[in-house]
Amino acid sequence: MIGLDFFVDRFGIFLSALFVFIGLMSFIYSLATIRGKGHKLEYYLMLLLIVGSGVGVALSYNLLLIFIFWEISTFAIWRTVGYYRKGDSSKAANITFLVNFGAAAIMLIGLVMLWLDNGTFNLFQIKIYNDLASTFILVGILAKSVIIPIHVWLVPAYKSVPAAIGGCLAGIAENLGVILFLRLFSTGQYFSTGFFSTVAWLALASCIIGGGAALLSNDLRELLAFSTISQIGFILLGFAVGGIYGIIGGMLYILAHGLAKAGLFYGVGLIEDATGKSDLNAIGGMLKGSPVLGVSMAFLIGSIVGFFPMVGFWSKLGVIIGAVSNSAYFGIGAIIAAVFTLLYNIRFYSKLFFGQSKGKVKPLCYTGLTVIFILALISLLLGIFIYQPVDYLTANGGLL
Amino acid sequence: MSITILGVEFEIYYLVLLLPVVCGLFGYLINRLRSEFNFLGFILTLFFAIKIFIATRTGVITAVPATMFGIDFRFYMDSLAGFILLFNAIFAFLVWLYCLKSMSKKPGERVYHLYIALTLAAANGVVITGNLIFLLIFWNVLVFTLYGILLVGKKDSSFAARKAVTIIGVSDFLMMLGIVILFVKVGNINIPADPKLLLSGPWMITAYILIMIGAIAKAGAIPLHTWIPEAAKVVPASTMAFIPASLDKLIGIYLLVRISYFFFDITGSVHLRILLMIIGSVTIIAAVAMAMIQKEAMRLLSFHAVSQVGYMVLGIGTGIPIGIAGGLFHMLNHSIYKACLFLSAGSVEYRARTTDLDRLGGLATKMPITLFTFLIAAFAISGVPPLNGFFSKWMVYQGIIEFGKVSNLWPIFLIAAMFGSILTLASFLKITHSLFLGERPKELSKVRETRFEMVVPALLLALLCIVFGVFAYSLPLRHLIYPALPFGIVESGFWMPGLATILVIVGMIIGLVVFLFGTALKPKRSRVFIGGEILDEEAARMTGPNFYSSVHTIDMLKKTFEFGEAGSFDFYNYLNAAARGLAVIFKEVINRLIGFIYESIGKVVKNLSRFLSFLHTGELYNYVGWIFLGGIIILILLVL
Repeated sequence: MIGLDFFVDRFGIFLSALFVFIGLMSFIYSLATIRGKGHKLEYYLMLLLIVGSGVGVALSYNLLLIFIFWEISTFAIWRTVGYYRKGDSSKAANITFLVNFGAAAIMLIGLVMLWLDNGTFNLFQIKIYNDLASTFILVGILAKSVIIPIHVWLVPAYKSVPAAIGGCLAGIAENLGVILFLRLFSTGQYFSTGFFSTVAWLALASCIIGGGAALLSNDLRELLAFSTISQIGFILLGFAVGGIYGIIGGMLYILAHGLAKAGLFYGVGLIEDATGKSDLNAIGGMLKGSPVLGVSMAFLIGSIVGFFPMVGFWSKLGVIIGAVSNSAYFGIGAIIAAVFTLLYNIRFYSKLFFGQSKGKVKPLCYTGLTVIFILALISLLLGIFIYQPVDYLTANGGLL
Repeated sequence: MSITILGVEFEIYYLVLLLPVVCGLFGYLINRLRSEFNFLGFILTLFFAIKIFIATRTGVITAVPATMFGIDFRFYMDSLAGFILLFNAIFAFLVWLYCLKSMSKKPGERVYHLYIALTLAAANGVVITGNLIFLLIFWNVLVFTLYGILLVGKKDSSFAARKAVTIIGVSDFLMMLGIVILFVKVGNINIPADPKLLLSGPWMITAYILIMIGAIAKAGAIPLHTWIPEAAKVVPASTMAFIPASLDKLIGIYLLVRISYFFFDITGSVHLRILLMIIGSVTIIAAVAMAMIQKEAMRLLSFHAVSQVGYMVLGIGTGIPIGIAGGLFHMLNHSIYKACLFLSAGSVEYRARTTDLDRLGGLATKMPITLFTFLIAAFAISGVPPLNGFFSKWMVYQGIIEFGKVSNLWPIFLIAAMFGSILTLASFLKITHSLFLGERPKELSKVRETRFEMVVPALLLALLCIVFGVFAYSLPLRHLIYPALPFGIVESGFWMPGLATILVIVGMIIGLVVFLFGTALKPKRSRVFIGGEILDEEAARMTGPNFYSSVHTIDMLKKTFEFGEAGSFDFYNYLNAAARGLAVIFKEVINRLIGFIYESIGKVVKNLSRFLSFLHTGELYNYVGWIFLGGIIILILLVL
């Protein structure tokens, strides 16, 4: 029933490479920013656990094994969200844990039902799906990937997590849900039933509502949280509408969003450290003090919005082609969500970097700046040399 | 077509993309050699653009270097692309020459030159691609370069940059949707489509309109124009001359022509043609009316940069060969004279340090060459023969009249176009008067003619205005416009440029004589007497805008103008308001409702556990009672 059933395909390697890279960047950023007395030993262990569980989910093909990694990830998120041990962060950690754990318990029921039907946990041998089991599993997926309506844990979690781990959350842990969705549902016979269009509608709602909520957010981290809700909605939309464009677009979206959101989270962390504030209206004129941060974040935001020299363009294009091929409504919804993305991002950027500088600004930490710059540069280079990742993903039918 | 440099063979069309980028980057990194690198980059780009232009006269250059996922990364250069490419390079070179001095020692100078180079590269990319998704890539790069170049401002220009990127970005996304719909429904989105797609069925029409929105937003038609006047207040004149006045027009109208006549065939759809013509007419009238009341030179010119787009869209919308050629020709002419106007006005600003029309005047004797360039361009934009603007407008009128065979709405369009022309002339009389004639304020007494590097581009553009007007048929139309369009053009109407030129020259000589003997340069002075109080001459000075202040005060128009100035017609404001309104619903209603549901579940669980804990009193009797109760229930179940 359970063994160490690992399977290496191109998608798995692609995702593992991305996760390990984001983990590495997170680690370097942590070295510079996680200072003072604290639970450093625990912190680095949890960082490794998040990365490891991400790689585990990407590479295993046994549902039970995936579930174990899933729970390891939940545990690690719980510990890191509560890292600062203050009142709010403990509460946020508890919310995070309860929502994720409860949803995972429901998911387990679904997994067992699948096992009863198919007699195996092996992803490749599961042929019989039923809607009830799928719905139970979907609950776990939605909770992990913060799709509406199970997104409530993300805002408090982002508000209290150390910025270094925030990048890992956005780039690794929250992708586990959509990866399971892709592995379990998108490639099988089950596709093109009503279940998929429901998921696509949920994903679209997540895109649009998340984008709208981000437009009104004045707290930096709340904005990032809603932005993540919106962006992961795009990934799930790509996987749910299916087709080669939707799926490859979704994979590229994981890449683009992981790199960009990690970079933005580190940038926000730096800005918070330098100004001591996290209110968008209380910060301004950051461009003068730190042009490198300004340019890097402009590129990262370009990647999130989806303008060309950045890799985010290709992912958005792929998802939108997939959406339009499936149904025109998905395409129109995706464009509305994209417009929201543009609006809140440009607002975010203008308020942070232009206008009057308010209050005293400490110098930024160079290590952090370097990490952000590297992430921006890689997003740019991948956008220009997009042929390589796409070719890697599609060659040989996804097999090595 | 390839060329060997240092033993490496380069395809020539890569060079027009790479040269500006490479030279611009080197110039940015090695600040000491910036001008040299930039000069090399722009001159070589111009050289290769000319080579491509000549090659496209005889045949089409096409190549498919890569294919990914059904998307051909394909180059396609015909004579339309060739001539746009040529003028991209010319404008970039002239503007760069101009801002060598005008931007000298200003903040952001170093990065400004880089942005000019990058913008040129992206615009070249738009023109030489042969696939709509490939085109979208360069279209997107232009968003980045636009944001960057607008941020280099005279004052804090971040709001203008934000507005520009929002409007252009939204239209980009709409265009992306249109292209994706085509990609999904048609499969082949190479330029040109063969055979041309028919505009039948909702999909094709939606796709066409969405791509058209992208094109006219770039060109700056109403209602997607509002970033241009906003930017005019805060960015240098060279930016205005380069982006909204020339490059954006070239590539925006290029795309409109491409999709209307090379990809789709709009001639089959009268409704879409009328839609385009309505957009054109409204753009002409509304923007020129706003221009009338401006008191700031750059902002006034920027409204004209919007208004003139109307003629281009109107001409292209007619679907009549002469009208389309007129629209395309007007695009070229507009780029030339509007760039010239912005550069000349920029020269005035460079010396006088202001563009406020109320504080300017009487610079004719101080800046004669600038007066000449400004005047030529102003006549050209107003459609005075024999300058180039007249010819293109004339062709557009011809197209509209011929459109009468298709629809009887044509008189409305014709009247709109002519009325717009009259208002244009009026507002240019105003700005010319305000800048160069009339009384000179005291603080401008030390103004000199502008620098050599800034005069040359404006002078060249002004000469181009004259040449393209006097030799309209033998030069630009025969060599640039007619070959670019996929159909033969029958010139209708009676017009002899030679005779007209002679008549106009005679007229101008007479005018000059009057001008020299008259008092145009020396305003008549009379003592001002108000109730015994002697007024300072400066305070009694009549400024240019005052002559036109009556336009403001017509009751019916007054409210409209006030609305316009307050941004009530601003697409950006509506977009933001709609987005925020929806966002409030999403965040405060839906999101909060979901949160409320979770909290309610939490409360239910809490209350349930409180109730259960209430049962545990800790007294032995209670527990004995529970045991008995349980035992009885079990007994009953067993018995039943």
